[in-house]
Amino acid sequence: MITYILRRLLLMVPTLLGITVVVFVVMAAAPGGISALSLVEGQNLEPQAKKALEDYYNRLYGLDQPAPVQFGRWLNNISPVGFAQDDTGALTGWPMFKTPDLGLSFRYGRPVTDLISERLPITLLLNVLSIPLIYVVAIAVGVRAATRRGQAFDTQAGVVLLGLWSIPTMLAGVLMIGFLASDQFWQWFPTGGLSRRAALDMPFLPQAEFWWTLPALLALGFLAASAFVVFSVRAGRSLRAGAGLLLGGWAGLAMAQDLDAVQSLAGLVLGGVAGAGIGALLGRSEWLALRIGLFGFAGMLIGFKTAGWLFSGGVASGFLLDRMWHLVLPVVCLSYGGLAFLAKLSRSAVLENLTADYARTARAKGVGERDVLWRHVFRNSLLPLITVSATLLPSLLAGSVIVEAIFSIEGMGKLAVEAVQTRDRELVLSITLISGLLTLAGYLLADLAYAIVDPRVSYD
Amino acid sequence: MTEQPRSPSWSRRILGEVLLRWGARLGLAWIALLTLVAVFAPLLANTHPLLVEDAEGWHSPMLTHLTPADTALLGAFFLALVLLFSPGAPLWRFLSWLGGLALIGALSLVLVSPPALVVYEQYREAEARGEYQRVVRAPIPYSAKDYLRDYADTGLESPRSSAERLHWFGTDENGADVLSRMIHATRIALSIGFIATGIALVIGVILGGLMGYFSGIVDIIGMRLVEIFEAIPTLFLLLTFVAFFGRSLYLMMLIIGLTSWSGYARYVRAEFLRLRQQDFVQGAIASGLSLPSILFRHMLPNGMAPILVAASFGVASAILAEATLSFLGLGLVDDPSWGQMLNQAVQSSTFNWWMAAFPGGAIFLTVFAYNLIGEALRDAVDPHSQSGRSAPPVKAAA
Amino acid sequence: MLRVQDLTIRLRHQDQPLVEGVSFAIERGELFCLVGESGSGKSLTALAIMRILDRGFLPPSGQVWLKGQGGTQDLLTLDEHGMEGVRGDRVGMIFQEPMTSLNPVWTVGQQIMEVLRLHRPELDAEAARRRTLEVLAEVQLPDPERRFEEFPHKLSGGQRQRVMIAMALVAEPDLLIADEPTTALDVTIQAEILKLIDRLREKNGMSVLLITHDFGVVAQVGDRVAVMHRGKLVEQGAARTVIANPGHVYTRQLIRALPENLPPLPPVSAGSRDTLLEVQGLRVHFPVLKGLLRRPVDYVRAVDDVSFDLSAGEVLAVVGESGSGKTTLGRAVLRLIEPTGGSVRYRGNAMETLDRKALRKARRHLQVVFQDPASSLNPRLTILTTLTEPMAAHDIGADHDERVERALKVLEQVALPPDTLWRYPHEFSGGQRQRIGIARALVLDPDIIICDEVTSALDVSVQAEILQILGRLRAERKLALLFITHNMGVVEYLSDRMLVMKDGRMEEIGATAEVIARPKADYTRHLLSAVPRVAEHLGRAAASGQV
Repeated sequence: MITYILRRLLLMVPTLLGITVVVFVVMAAAPGGISALSLVEGQNLEPQAKKALEDYYNRLYGLDQPAPVQFGRWLNNISPVGFAQDDTGALTGWPMFKTPDLGLSFRYGRPVTDLISERLPITLLLNVLSIPLIYVVAIAVGVRAATRRGQAFDTQAGVVLLGLWSIPTMLAGVLMIGFLASDQFWQWFPTGGLSRRAALDMPFLPQAEFWWTLPALLALGFLAASAFVVFSVRAGRSLRAGAGLLLGGWAGLAMAQDLDAVQSLAGLVLGGVAGAGIGALLGRSEWLALRIGLFGFAGMLIGFKTAGWLFSGGVASGFLLDRMWHLVLPVVCLSYGGLAFLAKLSRSAVLENLTADYARTARAKGVGERDVLWRHVFRNSLLPLITVSATLLPSLLAGSVIVEAIFSIEGMGKLAVEAVQTRDRELVLSITLISGLLTLAGYLLADLAYAIVDPRVSYD
Repeated sequence: MTEQPRSPSWSRRILGEVLLRWGARLGLAWIALLTLVAVFAPLLANTHPLLVEDAEGWHSPMLTHLTPADTALLGAFFLALVLLFSPGAPLWRFLSWLGGLALIGALSLVLVSPPALVVYEQYREAEARGEYQRVVRAPIPYSAKDYLRDYADTGLESPRSSAERLHWFGTDENGADVLSRMIHATRIALSIGFIATGIALVIGVILGGLMGYFSGIVDIIGMRLVEIFEAIPTLFLLLTFVAFFGRSLYLMMLIIGLTSWSGYARYVRAEFLRLRQQDFVQGAIASGLSLPSILFRHMLPNGMAPILVAASFGVASAILAEATLSFLGLGLVDDPSWGQMLNQAVQSSTFNWWMAAFPGGAIFLTVFAYNLIGEALRDAVDPHSQSGRSAPPVKAAA
Repeated sequence: MLRVQDLTIRLRHQDQPLVEGVSFAIERGELFCLVGESGSGKSLTALAIMRILDRGFLPPSGQVWLKGQGGTQDLLTLDEHGMEGVRGDRVGMIFQEPMTSLNPVWTVGQQIMEVLRLHRPELDAEAARRRTLEVLAEVQLPDPERRFEEFPHKLSGGQRQRVMIAMALVAEPDLLIADEPTTALDVTIQAEILKLIDRLREKNGMSVLLITHDFGVVAQVGDRVAVMHRGKLVEQGAARTVIANPGHVYTRQLIRALPENLPPLPPVSAGSRDTLLEVQGLRVHFPVLKGLLRRPVDYVRAVDDVSFDLSAGEVLAVVGESGSGKTTLGRAVLRLIEPTGGSVRYRGNAMETLDRKALRKARRHLQVVFQDPASSLNPRLTILTTLTEPMAAHDIGADHDERVERALKVLEQVALPPDTLWRYPHEFSGGQRQRIGIARALVLDPDIIICDEVTSALDVSVQAEILQILGRLRAERKLALLFITHNMGVVEYLSDRMLVMKDGRMEEIGATAEVIARPKADYTRHLLSAVPRVAEHLGRAAASGQV
């Protein structure tokens, strides 16, 4: 196993090299290439000043040298083993171990390492939050579709998932901002950024006037949620439909009231009726997971609202809550595409395993259908899902570019777009390197996870 | 020797299976609609009137202002229609269509030259002055680049808000009619989808086939190439290309094609590796058939199935890629594009919902259509999910 | 013990039942065989008894009476919960494919203990473990303690089948249903597994429903037998009686199709028999790569120093179990796999040194027919193209029409109608596809045809037809056949000489009759004794006065 890991790590090097070569070639082959000219072009200066600026840039970044040399210098900078440089850019010293230096960004004038270390955690946060969300929902939907193959849920879910997958991320983001985060419609969420300006000064956790407010709030929310969950599990169909009707109607009315566009009573009634209808349908549903989720959520909201009404002491939302509130829309926007894909994949994996020989053997042993599914089939179905997780990370990184642009989040994606637009050589190469590294690391992790889960696979 | 009626070939059977599925039918219907819209765009949305009768008699401003692209598309469409109903093997008909296309394209470039300067306001002014006795206009009397400069107060307008002009989908930030721009943008969307995917397919199939058949050193190098192109975040590479090389439609097609070939190469390689071990391929080798025959007659046709499925999804993602680039402001500058229009939805402080709903909806429907077709293809090709109509062959019961 | 009455199984959305009106009974402690060819519905019957039919089937009609402590129950009317109690506890089942029938991510011990957890909840963990080890020892699995902790993929096919049997027996059921348990195993292992089942039956007083297509198996271990054909039960009775004196037409057909009962082959025309093929010291070694730099640390010796001759009109059978290298041998002779060493001479010319062009020309004389009818024909080409393309490649026939004529003639020789030419492979059955495969080989007028397990995937009656076609072709064209197989009955019927292989090495070679009567190598003896032969068992039975 160790030799396998070593081998993979070694093989990463030529691939990373290849990636950076490709990107570098693209930059160098472009009209204007990587010379100081493109940096000075736009500015309104006298020719002499321009020349001086050019010389300055050339010396600083070595832009007057031929492309291969520039690449070689950059390689030298980033590798832990190489030549050291002094201030004028000349090489000194013997080859020895040194800290990798990613260079200075042209546009920001700051070390690339600083920029990346600021932005990368944000992008990672987005992606790391997305991945569990994607997997949990996808597996739940996929398993249910597979066990009810050919029936209503399966065909409907199939169409819905395909539709979700087809919605371009930008459209979803734009629609979400437009409808859920603007004052023309409902403003449940902030329009962008990661936190309110004021939030940076706020304490991390929510604070309240009286010490017992927060625990009481949580307790009430939890109690209400649990009560609703128990109700949704135990109550009969018509009772649930009725409850759904009430809750849905109330929600519909509230939403209709919020809309600027709805002025008349008719509009309110419409909203209420629509909400009631949807609520009743959802309440009636046989899908346990869905019921628990929805009713629990509704219960929690009601609990919080009641608590807020009972305890009038002010609660200041802390940094944490504010950040979470800002993250909801971007994470949803990032996840829904991967969710659709993974749900279809888990459906086909579970289907294949449900009809496999070993499942038949399990049934012949007297194992109940539910146990056949969760104890035997489930683990085998996870295998293709793990393999695919390797490709999930690159697509999430790409998705981050769009999401960060739409929601004005200062992450790696946004940085990448800016870097490319300003032809910032150091930044572009470094971002390429980092994302390539992350992707390859993702592949390796996925392969290792696969080896752990599947006893048939062993790497020697 | 008289040839007796043939039973349906594999391609025809698959086509039949695909068409059975309602998803594929919807998707194909939408694509057909888009194709018609793209081909007949100058007739559908044009400020130049189709026919005008004035003091000098009848003339057609629309015809005089047709560009080479317009005539080429119209010609190609009718040629395709003719070839569709003529006899002959499908492959030959396709090749002759391609040849005809090239010819028509060349002729158009040479013969068709619309006037360089276009003044859109002249027709409205002339009509206001009463110069026209009869006018036949296109259903949507605005061109894609008609910025309505004769009206002073244009800018983003929601649909049907203006009393004097009818804009079904509203106007964009420059005052141009949204529906007209969407119609003309259809060309870009469809052509990018096909051509980019075509380029990626050609590269991917050739490389993948070489890797799969020859193995050895070819395979090792090829796989490294595939890994490199897979590991580069595609969007990022696209951004880099476009930002450094400037924006042009053909360049974008080429670039999208160059960045998405790795998936096809993998599929073809996997199929070839599997097929090499199949008995009928071994039998073909044992019969002493030549290498081209084995590759193109025995291996490639049988390995095409997953590639067709992937290509359908690939067209969808090519269209998405172009829309994304346009959305990020890196797309085409003046020509209309769905993604670019989507961008305008959030640019100002108000949410311009018509810029999001209509162009966004068009992107969504097109991508959805291709995905539906891809799904239907996948179901049709997969032997496990036969619709039950054709039972799988019974094992060896004479 | 078990009484099936009027069992009928239908697919949803189809009128024609797949199994119709099947009735039989199994006594306590007896081994009942259910025999039939593919598509006869025998497996479906077993699945219906256990009620684990796929969702595409309607619930079966009829009755299935199972006798137990509390009296007799109709299994078809039990609710699901009750049925779960029956499965694994009172009725155990084992399946055909040991490779895929065990859960790959659970250890052997875990899978067996699950049965105990479900049906013997009174046992605690320690007692359950003891019982599991006990039953693993009972099925003669070597080193049960270690096997307990292992995953299925580490075991061989025969070992996995033993684990399956252990899993089915651990709760001591009254009835064991075995669905073709040995078909996927080697002959020697097959014999052991059958003996094991028989022994366990005696020891536990268990009844066994054994589903098979092999009459030899029936003769070896069966007490009573029922024959199924197209979903109906056509005959049943005591095993010896039915085999010796089949009542129903179909049963008679089946018995007659066994290779040992087939009419003798037409003799090869007299005349000189050239030596066509000389194989000397053929070796095919595959390197095993390990380590950081993937260096070869060892070699898999698929074919290790094999030598033989083949003359015109002669059939040389290459016999061996799976992994013996016989298939690799065939491919190496054809240079579909490059040999690592040794020489292959066709009519005196060395084959292994030919360049690509010359090799392609030489291929005309050595043709091959494969095992799997499903993948041996290009599904995209019409039969016409499949047959005429090789001819065109070798410039046989002046023009297309002449080639079509030749194709038609060849089709005649394999007893297929002329309109076959215009069809696609998927329209034909397995047997017909094998015949097309033979036609494809014949179309180039070769001297030698290598038959790689051509009848192994076919039913007995179809196999009989193919064998007779091959025999006729051999006589008419003086064809030499290199016949690779693991079926000794076929070897005895068809071949003049035989070559026994084990682990890549030649164990024995000689005239078939000679080798079978007086085997020299130990392995050959072992192999021959493991083959279930109908006549043998009948003979023994007759001698002991049982018929």
